[in-house]
Amino acid sequence: MLTRLYHIILRELNIIRDNHIYWFCMVLFPLAIVIFFTSLMDDGLPKSMPVGVVDLDNTSTTRALAQRLDAFQQSKVVAHYPSASEARRAMQHNEIYGFLYIPKGTTEKLLSSRQPKISYYYSYTTLAAGALLMKDLKTISTLGSAAVGQATLRARGATDQQIQTLLQPIRVDLHQIVNPWTNYNVYLTTMLVPGMFMLFIFMISAFSLGNELKFSTSKKWLEAADQNMTLALIGKFLPHTLIFLAVVFAYEWYVFVHLGFPHNGRGWTLVLIAVMQVLASQGFGIFVFGLMPSLRMSMSVCSLWGVLSFSMAGAAFPVMGMDAPLQSLAWLFPLRHYYMLYQITVFNGYPLLEAWFHFVALGSFMLLPWLVLKKLKNAMLNYVYIP
Amino acid sequence: MSIFRNAYEGLLDICFIWKEEMKQVFHDEGVIIFFFVVPIVYPLLYSWIYNNEAVHEIPVVVVDNSHSSLSRKFARMCDASPDVKIAYYAQDLDEAKSLVSRQIVKGIYYFPSEFDKRVNRLEQATVSVYCDMSLMLAYKAVFQTAQLVSMQMGSELKTRMGKNYTSREDAIAAKPLDVADVPIFNPSGGYGSFILPGVLILILQQTLVLGIGLSAGTTREKSRYGWLIPVRRHYHGLSRIVWGKALCYLMIYAVMGVWLTIAVPSIFNFPRLAHWWNILAILFPYTLASIFFGMTVSCMVKYRENVMLLMVFVSVPLLFMTGVSWPQSSIPAFWQGVSWVFPSTFAVKAYVRMNSMGATLSDVISEYRILWLHTILYFCSSCFVYYRQVNRARQETIERLEEKKEALV
Repeated sequence: MLTRLYHIILRELNIIRDNHIYWFCMVLFPLAIVIFFTSLMDDGLPKSMPVGVVDLDNTSTTRALAQRLDAFQQSKVVAHYPSASEARRAMQHNEIYGFLYIPKGTTEKLLSSRQPKISYYYSYTTLAAGALLMKDLKTISTLGSAAVGQATLRARGATDQQIQTLLQPIRVDLHQIVNPWTNYNVYLTTMLVPGMFMLFIFMISAFSLGNELKFSTSKKWLEAADQNMTLALIGKFLPHTLIFLAVVFAYEWYVFVHLGFPHNGRGWTLVLIAVMQVLASQGFGIFVFGLMPSLRMSMSVCSLWGVLSFSMAGAAFPVMGMDAPLQSLAWLFPLRHYYMLYQITVFNGYPLLEAWFHFVALGSFMLLPWLVLKKLKNAMLNYVYIP
Repeated sequence: MSIFRNAYEGLLDICFIWKEEMKQVFHDEGVIIFFFVVPIVYPLLYSWIYNNEAVHEIPVVVVDNSHSSLSRKFARMCDASPDVKIAYYAQDLDEAKSLVSRQIVKGIYYFPSEFDKRVNRLEQATVSVYCDMSLMLAYKAVFQTAQLVSMQMGSELKTRMGKNYTSREDAIAAKPLDVADVPIFNPSGGYGSFILPGVLILILQQTLVLGIGLSAGTTREKSRYGWLIPVRRHYHGLSRIVWGKALCYLMIYAVMGVWLTIAVPSIFNFPRLAHWWNILAILFPYTLASIFFGMTVSCMVKYRENVMLLMVFVSVPLLFMTGVSWPQSSIPAFWQGVSWVFPSTFAVKAYVRMNSMGATLSDVISEYRILWLHTILYFCSSCFVYYRQVNRARQETIERLEEKKEALV
């Protein structure tokens, strides 16, 4: 038994060595993806996004307002425009993400307390940029109002503490649990990279089974396992599992240790989610091939399913915001369960018990190949590859 | 032989290759999936997923140690807002935390015991907001609602505390400088309206390249000697082969492109500010560039499945490099350079700006020119790779003939 297993493993290692595509898809591409996403969002938050100013008033007060906007980390005033329509055109030209509009007479009205109105134009076509610029604007307007109010109140003889209260009676004290920097890298990379890993594992699993048929080596493979499908599968996929696990651990080390992404779980939770991720994806890939034992069909389905996972994982747009049927459909995507497991046990550091459902779901993905063992064996023995 | 006759023959050859390619597309189920099923079904699916655009009524828990009318009013106002729903009242922070850990609520509003006392003593009161940061949209809703309510209640309190004479004075004291924030494009901040235009354009390129790659792979695997181009009468002349095939793909994607860029947005009411002829003006060079790009890629891979592995792998990074999810100004220069290789980068930029931001063709003229440049470059490269394929096939045929001759002799 063990010697047979050993032979199948050796055979698989030879296949992996001879076909470059394995090397690319199991090691090189996944690592490239890690580098890509972590370097893309290295800043954590988009910094110095270009914005414009339309200052029709042009007094020292309004210029100070524009300068204050420039001083923010996220905004950078790159240009002044003579009119609002030209600033809008600059937005359509992709030069700026938004602009501050100060109409004529703002300072005059401010000094004579006639409540002037300034406007801030921005765009939600890039959601992150829009939200962050909006936040800067809110702060600016509060600060601008406060400066005026403070002067009036002080003239009336209020104490500093009273002024603070009168300007802002209720203060929101924000606690951003675990990710106090609102770091986008932390929340996107930890979903996208595992999602890409899963995609590769799905496809490579289906690919390696399909290639047995394509190059008609399937009978030899089963012979080596003495017609025992379970043994054959274990022998074939054990080397894959180990290689993928090494890659996933490398990613986890790089992200959580080297880059210092927040993780509140114990060390073993990282190991656990890595193992579950790899095994569940392999299970899914084998299952799909078992359902339709044709190389191109199973790979198409795997790739389409994998690409769809990114939306169905609910990390960017939450699952609770989707329609009810989609909420149930989300259960069929391993990435969804992986993401929840990661989020509950690693990111927030809650006990595994809180994520039991997703744990069980991932476990059942691992067992899926069991359902198609017979069909798979039949396919391997009797099917002929048709291009 | 006159020029006209030559041209006529060339045209006939192109049409013949076009027909042959068309036949092959409809006989290969893998190609059918990527040319027809995916471009039709995926946009519908994605539109359905993001159709709700925003998340409303995010559940939060309130821990009210103040038990005052002020804190209750605060909670009530949050509950009345569209984005947040007060789902639970907890006794203390520990209980609230356990609700968060069970994913039942996404945030905690905590009122300390002297919340209203402080306000009445003319001291600043605080309300603590704890956000689960695993969902950015939920965090935004929980935090912004609290901030809005605190500002609104704050101005009410200000008018009560400030000793003003008229209501106009009240208004000015509460807000000496009025600010209007105007999200001019995608005003509701909808998630679907933001991500979908980019996805639609990307689907076009990816499915085209995948389909062309699969189709080329099938030809090669069916051919006896692994050739891409059959040695037949009609298959002579490089541009005839390239144009014949391209016309077949163009014919299919003329329909798919219109479906993706014009029909789907209007079915699901996504922003569509551009005139259809402006969209077509972008679509035409984009489709051609993608076709020639696909033909170039299809010659570079040995087996049919490899193109699938390659293209699926790049699709998510490609979306990020277009500057839709992550602002272009923050993308490192290196990755921006990499993104210039793909036609989709420029098409997405042009399409988003025209369709979501109402730009005209003259506003996106640089992207438009680059797309034509891509078309020309990739046409040349596909001619080049096909030239090599034809040559290889011819040489091998000649070698085989020689071998046979020798054997006969």
